[in-house]
This record gives sequence, C-alpha cells and structure tokens, in this order.
Amino acid sequence: MSLEGTGKCHTVTLRRHAVMAAGKMAAPIEFAADLCIPRLFYISEMALFQQQHITWEDLPVPYRVVTGHVPLLVEELWRCRGADAGGAALERLCCWTGVAGSAEELSLTRLQQEEEQTVPPMRRRRRNRCVYTTPPVCCSICSDAKLKDPFSLAQKDLQNLYEEIKKLLVSKAELKVLCDYYFDGKGKAFRPMIVILMARACNVHSNKEGVLLPAQRSIAMISEMIHTASLVHDDVIDDSDTRRGKNTINKVWGERKAILAGDFILSAASMALARIGNNTVVSVLSQVIEDLVRGEFMQLGSKENENERFKHYLEKTFKKTASLIANSCKAVSILVNSDPEVHEIAYQYGRNVGIAFQLVDDILDFTSCANLLGKPSAADLKLGLATGPVLFACQQFPELHAMIMRRFSSDGDVDRAWQYVLKSDGVEQTNYLAQHYCQEAIRQISRLRPSTERDALIQLTELVLRRDK
Amino acid sequence: MAWRSRLSYIGWRHLSIFSNPSPSNWTKVVSDAEKIVGYPTSFMSLRCLLSDELSNVAMHVRKLVGTKHPLLNTARGFVYDSRNNLQMRGLIVLLMSKAAGPCPSTSDPIHDSMVSGIYPSQRNLAEITELIHTAFLVHRGIVNLKEWTNSDGPLKDMQFGNKMAVLSGDFLLANACTGLAQLNDTKVVELISSAIGDVVQGIYHESSTSAEEGSLTVASWEDQTFLSHGALLAKSCQAAMKLARHGNESQNLAFQYGKHLALGHKLNSDLHTFVKSGSEPAVFSLDSAPVVFHRQIVGPERWRHQLKQVQNMARQIDYTKLRGLIKTERGVSQALDLCSYHGNKALEAMKCFPPSEARSALENMACAVTKF
Repeated sequence: MSLEGTGKCHTVTLRRHAVMAAGKMAAPIEFAADLCIPRLFYISEMALFQQQHITWEDLPVPYRVVTGHVPLLVEELWRCRGADAGGAALERLCCWTGVAGSAEELSLTRLQQEEEQTVPPMRRRRRNRCVYTTPPVCCSICSDAKLKDPFSLAQKDLQNLYEEIKKLLVSKAELKVLCDYYFDGKGKAFRPMIVILMARACNVHSNKEGVLLPAQRSIAMISEMIHTASLVHDDVIDDSDTRRGKNTINKVWGERKAILAGDFILSAASMALARIGNNTVVSVLSQVIEDLVRGEFMQLGSKENENERFKHYLEKTFKKTASLIANSCKAVSILVNSDPEVHEIAYQYGRNVGIAFQLVDDILDFTSCANLLGKPSAADLKLGLATGPVLFACQQFPELHAMIMRRFSSDGDVDRAWQYVLKSDGVEQTNYLAQHYCQEAIRQISRLRPSTERDALIQLTELVLRRDK
Repeated sequence: MAWRSRLSYIGWRHLSIFSNPSPSNWTKVVSDAEKIVGYPTSFMSLRCLLSDELSNVAMHVRKLVGTKHPLLNTARGFVYDSRNNLQMRGLIVLLMSKAAGPCPSTSDPIHDSMVSGIYPSQRNLAEITELIHTAFLVHRGIVNLKEWTNSDGPLKDMQFGNKMAVLSGDFLLANACTGLAQLNDTKVVELISSAIGDVVQGIYHESSTSAEEGSLTVASWEDQTFLSHGALLAKSCQAAMKLARHGNESQNLAFQYGKHLALGHKLNSDLHTFVKSGSEPAVFSLDSAPVVFHRQIVGPERWRHQLKQVQNMARQIDYTKLRGLIKTERGVSQALDLCSYHGNKALEAMKCFPPSEARSALENMACAVTKF
C-alpha cells in the first residue's frame, strides 16, 4: 500500500475502498458498516497516516465502544480483505481491533470536539440530519413550523382503525371480550401510523394522489393486529401483570384463554391479509409472523462471546420489533409501486426506525419510572435479558459478564446490574446507536419524492428518539 | 338437523354398504392408506422437529420430565405412536387429493407437476394441516397458573412448561402461515385461516364448560365439536380441491367428507370407554358425547342427583360408577347412532368421486370410525 501523497488523498482512497467493501457485506450488519466505516477510517487514518502508534488502550472509550462493533464485523471485514489498498487496510484494522483493552473514562463531548477538529466537512455533514441531498430529488426540510406533526397527519386515517379491527374479530361472548381488550384506542398506534404515512408517501412518489388505498389501510390494521397478538403471547411467556395501564389478559382470564385469544387475533389478521388478494403481500407479512417467533426463541439463549452477544441482540431486536414495521412498510409500497427500489426504501426505513424504536425502549427500561410506561421498569433485567445499555456497560464493568451469563438470576443481580448501567455510559451509547439508525432511516426515506408525509416520517425519527414512554 | 331424522339411521348401523369386508382395525386402515399416498405421513418428524428452535425446545422439555405439565404428554405423542394417529388429517388430505384426480384443465401450468397422483401444493397443504393441528394440541396443554396447587409440583415447572408450550405452538403456527403463503393462493390462505379461527373458538369453549352447569345440548355439542375437531379437516379437504382447480361441487363433497369423518371419529373416541367391556377404570370428559346426550335425556335435576351419587366426600367423581349409571340410559346408544350417521354421511360424500384405491381407503376409514 502506497503512503504517498497527502493524508487527505489517502483518506479519499480509503473511503472509496470502504464503500466498496461495505457493499460486499451482508445485510444484517450493514447498519454497523454504516456506523463504523467513518469511525474506522478516522481511526485508521490516525493509526496509519499520522503514524501514531495508537494501541487499544489509548483509544478513547466511546471510540472503543463504537469500534467494539467492529469485532462483530471482523469476520465480514476479514472476508473483504484483499490485495488492494483498501483491502490491506481492512486487514490491518481487523488485526488491530482484535485486541481488547482496559476501560477508560472519556466523555462523548470530547469525541465530538475531536471530530470537529479533524473530520473533513463531508463527514461532518453526515451527522447533520437536515442536509441529506440525493440527486435529482432535493430534500429540503423547511423550518419546523411547516412540519406537520406525524400523529395529526395520520389522524383521520387512524380514527376508526380500532373500531374496524374489532369488526374483523368475529367471535362470541367471552372470546370477543378478550380479543377486543387491547383495541380500546389507548395504544400508541405507532405502527399503523408509520404504515399509513409510508403508504401515502409512496403513493405520492408513484404519481398517485396521497390518498390511502383500502388495501393499504388493511395493512395498517393487520400490522396492529399481529403486534397485539404477539403482545398477548409475550405477556404469558413473561408472566406479566400489567400492560398499557391495565391487568394483562393472562392475569384476568388465565394463561390458556390468553393464548387462544392471541391465536384468534392472528387468524383474523391472516384472513384480512388473504382478502387483499396479493400473494406477494401475503408472503411479506407471513415472514413477520415467523420472525416474531424466532425472535422470541432467540431470547431463550445467551451467547458466551461478548462480540456475538451484541450481534445476537441486534438480530433479535430486528426480528421482534423491526421486522413488522419494515415488512408492513414494504407491503404498502408493493401495493402501489412495482419498482423494487421503492420497496427497498420503504423496507429500510421501517427496519431502521424499528431498531431505533426498540433501542430507545430498552433505554427507557432503565431510565423511566414505572407509572409512565404502564409496565414496570428493569423488566428486561428481571427477565434475564441483557439489552443495549447492559451490553455497553459490560465493556466498562466486566463484572456484568458473569451476571449476563446467569441471566441475573442470583440475588441482588438485578439491582447491582442496574447500578452498573446507570454508572456507565451504556445508556448514552445506546442512544448514540439509536441516533445512527434514525439517520439511516432518514437517508433512505429522503430518496422518495417530497411530500408532507415523507417529511412527517423524517420528523417521526425525532419523536422516536425523544419519547419518554 | 332434527334429532328425529338422525334416529332413522339406527338401522344402518349394522349394514355394510360395500361388498368388500371393511377392516375394523383403525390402525390397519390407516397404514394401508399410507401406502397409497406413497410414504408414511410423518411429515412432522423430520423437517420441523429438526429445526434449531424445536431442538432447543426439546432440550428444555426434557427438564419437564417428572413434572405434571401436559406438554410432556403431547411431546410423548410425537415419539410413540398413539391411538390418536396424529398424522390422520394430513393423510386424509392426501387421499382426497388423489381421489379427486388431476385438475380439469390440461392447459393449466400445474397440470404436469403431479407426483404419485398428488400435486406438490396439495402435499404442502397436508403438512400445513398437521402443523396447525399439532400447534393446537400443544396450546391446549397450557396450564392456568391460578389453578395451580401444591400437588401439581413446583410452580416454576408449570411456568416453564407453559413457556415452552406457547413458544413451540407459536413456532408451528408461524411455519403454517409461511407455508400457506407459499401456496400462492390467497383464497386457500383465507380458508385455512378461517379454519384456525374455528379451532380456537371450539377449544375456547371446551375450557369454558364446567362439570355441573351444563348448557350443552346435542345440537350445540355438534356445532362446537365441528369447530374444534371438524373444521380444520373439512376446510383442508376443500382447500385441496381448490388447489387442483376442482369446481365447487368437488370442494363441497370434500368438505362434507372431512366434516363427517371428523365428527364420527370424535364420537368413536368418546364412546370407546363406554362400549369396550373392559375392567379398566373409566376416565372420560363430562363434555364427551355419551355424557352430554345422557344429560339431555335425564334432565338437569336428575343429572345433579346422579353426580352427587358418584361423588365422594372430597367431591371427586368416581368415573367408573358414573359410567355404570350412564350406561343404564340411552345416551350411549344415541351417541352410537350419531356415530353411524356421520360415518355414513362421509361414505355418501365419497360415492361421487370416481372409483380408485384412494377412494376406497377413504371409504374404509369412514367405515372404521363406526366400528369398535
């Protein structure tokens, strides 16, 4: 690899190779590629071109934590290595980041300051949400005043959603009561809202009016039904007492009936899905049902290897949360547009927002009070689950490792783990990660033609990050 | 249908419609039928059970050995061949597919994809039917934790068993859903999804009826049993016809066969302990056909009186005594007649299909359900 030329020149070369290499990487981890590549090459710049012998220990913790994702990618990066310049750099990086180091305290602001100083303008712009431009469509997000609140935009379409869902749940007596229990209009209707906005944005993009097709409306209902059915089952699996401020179905009517109610809601969703009459859409949403179950299974096991753990966590997060949103968005795009690129945009937006949503959820489990959420906090710890903040904290407090492996089952584990997390920057790091997913979501959705709905979807990512319940 | 017209079938009980003697042994009938469709219909034993998820569950279910969670029995049923012939539904769907023959239009793209007289989509449907049936066997075994008592063993075990049951049932259902999607026929997806809804409604009310308050009449027993035991088979048979592009008539006949065979089979199953003269202690559900019919005959007051007669101090029912009481009335014979009725209706449905090995196998099964 030639070290001639100025540092900037090599940055460009390396970056190009990075983009090429990223293109070869498998989908599930491309998020990390997007997140890490800028960092990776900033670091590699420091290491290679400034010829400072930076060791793992010297590396500030936030870099280390963020770059800590790299070991997850190491296999993939390793595969991309090769004889050319970029490949060789990757190889060096893989070897270098394979070294684990001791913890070091450093604040995020210092990271930002350092970045401001040394990062070329182009990279800095990546972090500024409002300047995503994609030729030929120009994304101009006007002042906040013009932005319509996503909730109110979708309001009219959402209004009778729950009533119509209840109409689909045709059954008698007590079973009907159970099925209707969570469709009382008190839920956030977050998923249907995204689906509706995405549908309208796609409709505008496809030269149709921004009005919802009946089939798209169906998808919104179906996604909420699938979500609710899975919640009902999850409450039995987790033996939960409350949800959305009321007693869970299993507590009131027993586990057996709760499971049957969940099965019934699922069957009604499946019937509604079939009635749309589109085989592709049926396949896309059936995949969700499978992903939901597989995600639940993934929670049964724990990974020994720290690196694998994070990957496992993100994959589980995709399956349990993001898959539904991603595939619902994809489904509504399929109904109005035959261009696979549009489907991909919709899917990627949904996927990234979904993962961000769950990451924030995991943060709130540590930081919010019990009464705001409608369910108790530290719930994940009590279930033995190690989520984002814990996994990040584990890098600072290796004591967490053993606790994670035994799923916080020993006395006092839950409390001690909670303390560690709050002491560490685990929450900060998870938030940072969520931000990056949102940025990716925005990048994707910006590729659609401008519309109020599209802008609302962009604004929605902000809401995801800022929510407190 | 009026009860009276069912009684008119009493005479048919001993009549064999066919010249060939029909084997009365259910197991033999089934194994003969399996040969016709090409291979043992244990679909479930390979593809699904070898999946990572279910292997995981199997590992966990081992921990349940020694506990009283129902999942253990269901799991055992997969390993040992039980009287219930877990693969029966899939087998019937395959036989029906074969009996109905190829799709009517030779220009249809699926026309040439037949293997051993059955289309691949029909085979997949048979597997999906079994997946759904099994999923509900598993979900039926979920225990209400509120009813847990110390005699059930540690609560932890029940909770764990429940968790495994929910997950494995869900896994099977999810596989059924993706399988349905791959059939590329939204009408079939709708039909089978409605069958799933029916099964849920049927099972839901199974758990609702309690011993003493019996509001179950004969007619409602049939409706409910259709939902819980007949709908899946009936609609799957119908769907198999749809997949081969057969017309409404064939679809309806297939539906009728499935419905009546399932009801006959349930009646046969319910009647066993009343008809077999053995000395083994009786165990039966108070929702089973002979009991329900008996209750309707004697009326609620006499029934309550009879229950008290067979209950001990701890209000536990002596089922052998109860069986004796029930046999003195006409509940059993009415159930027997109803069983014959359904068996014969199933036979009737098959008459309209062209003669074939597959059709004979289905007819043999219909006969076998009326025998004890």
